[in-house]
Amino acid sequence: MAASFCLPPEIKLRKLNIMEYFIQQFINGLTLGGMYALIALGYTMVYGVIQLINFAHGEFFAAGGYVGAIVLAYLAGLGYMETHPVICLTTAFLLSMAYCAYLAVGVEKIAYKPLRKESRLAALLSALGMSIFLSNGMMLTQGVYDKIYPSELFQGGINFGMVTISYLQVMIVSLTACLLVGLNLLVFKTKIGMAMRATAQDKTMSALVAIGSNKIISLTFAIGAGLAAAAGIMYGLYYGSVRYDMGFVPGIKAFAAAVLGGIGNITGAMLGGLIIGMVEIFAAGYISSEYKDVFAFIILIGVLYFKPTGIMGENIDDTRV
Amino acid sequence: MRKKALLIMALGLILVPFLCSAVYAKTLKIGSMSPLTGSYASDGTDIKNGVLTAVEVFEEAGGMPGYDKIEVFPQDTACDPRQAVAAANKLLNLEVVGVIGAYCSSSTIPSSEVLDEENVPMITPASTHQDVTDRGLPYMFRMCGRDDDQAPASANFMKESLGAKTIFIVDDKTTYSQGLADGVENACKKLGIKILAHEHVNQGDKDFSAILTMAKRDNADVFYMSLQGYSPAAMMTLQAKRLGLKSQIVTQDAVFQPKYVEVAKDAAEGVYLTYGFTDPATPEYKAFEKRYVPKYGKIAAYSTYAYDAATSLLQAIKAAGSTDPAKIKAELMKLDYQGVAKHIKFRANGDSGSSYIAFKVVDGKFVPYWEPVGGLIK
Repeated sequence: MAASFCLPPEIKLRKLNIMEYFIQQFINGLTLGGMYALIALGYTMVYGVIQLINFAHGEFFAAGGYVGAIVLAYLAGLGYMETHPVICLTTAFLLSMAYCAYLAVGVEKIAYKPLRKESRLAALLSALGMSIFLSNGMMLTQGVYDKIYPSELFQGGINFGMVTISYLQVMIVSLTACLLVGLNLLVFKTKIGMAMRATAQDKTMSALVAIGSNKIISLTFAIGAGLAAAAGIMYGLYYGSVRYDMGFVPGIKAFAAAVLGGIGNITGAMLGGLIIGMVEIFAAGYISSEYKDVFAFIILIGVLYFKPTGIMGENIDDTRV
Repeated sequence: MRKKALLIMALGLILVPFLCSAVYAKTLKIGSMSPLTGSYASDGTDIKNGVLTAVEVFEEAGGMPGYDKIEVFPQDTACDPRQAVAAANKLLNLEVVGVIGAYCSSSTIPSSEVLDEENVPMITPASTHQDVTDRGLPYMFRMCGRDDDQAPASANFMKESLGAKTIFIVDDKTTYSQGLADGVENACKKLGIKILAHEHVNQGDKDFSAILTMAKRDNADVFYMSLQGYSPAAMMTLQAKRLGLKSQIVTQDAVFQPKYVEVAKDAAEGVYLTYGFTDPATPEYKAFEKRYVPKYGKIAAYSTYAYDAATSLLQAIKAAGSTDPAKIKAELMKLDYQGVAKHIKFRANGDSGSSYIAFKVVDGKFVPYWEPVGGLIK
């Protein structure tokens, strides 16, 4: 297996030129940004529907990563991993997304629904509490150590000159694109999506035309958490392991991405995620990897200074979910 | 009146067992400090297990004269300076006679100041930063090597064995990792190895693709990775190989952990590490192995050093026949014996010498590869 890491022998070793360097960094940024976008969608959708910043969202992402690790380890133990890797991976994605969707619906019922009539601060504090509860729950049940992902999948990559695109990056970027397109179709082209948008605009009015707002809210949580779970597995595959506290930093970045794009706006969250990921990578690649997060947040502050609603955000908008 | 006297007598009787336990069951208390939670928990647990094993062996060999038992108080430092200082204060309140720890240099340095004020001897099994012993604290001892020995050893290895002409250095800005990376940079300059870049990442970072692309662009002969702990190092190695980085990867003692190979798997093959040399053929090592492995599993990085540190402390207390810090120190300085990890002989500043050699990851194991005097190890 060690050989699969190496470049083909016919490629002579040399330094990357400026263009190749840019392209390589662009691909890195696209991978990272795609994962941020998937997480950011959950923040923005929930905010759109009930105006709540769901701080427990990062934990859905971590839980998704864990479920994926457990399922893949189980299937690898049975030996299916070598014979049917694609089926194993699909199973892991589906189970983990389903689990997290279920978890999110439960969290909403326990922690947010009873507070829906209370002040928004109460729900926000409840969200913070839920985040701590879930993250510590994962620590207690799964241990403090890193859980290892089987790294045999998607080894190697495609070489264009000196630029290497790993199969894993190809998988992550294409799957993210599929999920984003699928979500857009769901929200803007189906009856359910129309109901979601109606609930987001006015709960009372939509209830009058027989749209059950409770169902729609649950559905929003479920979809958001499902996307975060998918991001969690990608993260585990990409970085090799998952940890109970891994939801925190990507959660904050994705939240920043959602705000940058205009919280409540789906297209905005996708765009925001990509921008934050790109800025982080390019700041690290061209300026300083120590201060890459600083640059990501400078962009956020800059945009909010000139356009407080975010890039795509508007006060009244029928694209809001 | 008679009733009152009876009552007092009864109360007195109730207190007797407490008085007895305080007077008769004499316990010798020693502390252990290491990260038991967080990213470095595996190394920290090894240290705790090493200390516990040492106490077990010592008690079986007759124990401490004048004491019924020896109790270890393991404290969690989480590799956090504030928590380490709190742990040191807690150990002082428990009135321990000596402390084994801590793991991260950034924990050992501030907590040793607290312990030294109360003249409590501290032996670190794992903190390699030079300032641990260079501050001149009278009760600070070190069982492992020093970074200003590790850095030149590493640079020599890169030049002599790998024939490196250029190097790309990355660290994650902890007291230990940055100090060592700076040392490697200086040592490389002296040997004429060109420093292409010395970059920093943050603790807790997971995505290293940008910095690795930079390393790929510069294409140095050696990619030197000075990270605190196996976990970020494993992630960086995986990402480096996936990106097609062709530089030889050299890293250091904090990565010397079987878990590093477990996470990075094939990507870790051929990575070089510097770590203190331990001869696994000595009878001391074999005896330790026989006792440690069935109970705690694999001998990982610092359990042997922790064992030697605790054994040295206990032997010094026994020889001193008291818990007076000055006497313990005098006895520690007299020690001269073959331990599990190395030969133990403390120097005036509290150091016990370095023995850095280069290891190479071969088939998922750390194999001794090169040593400063004789060159390649067959």
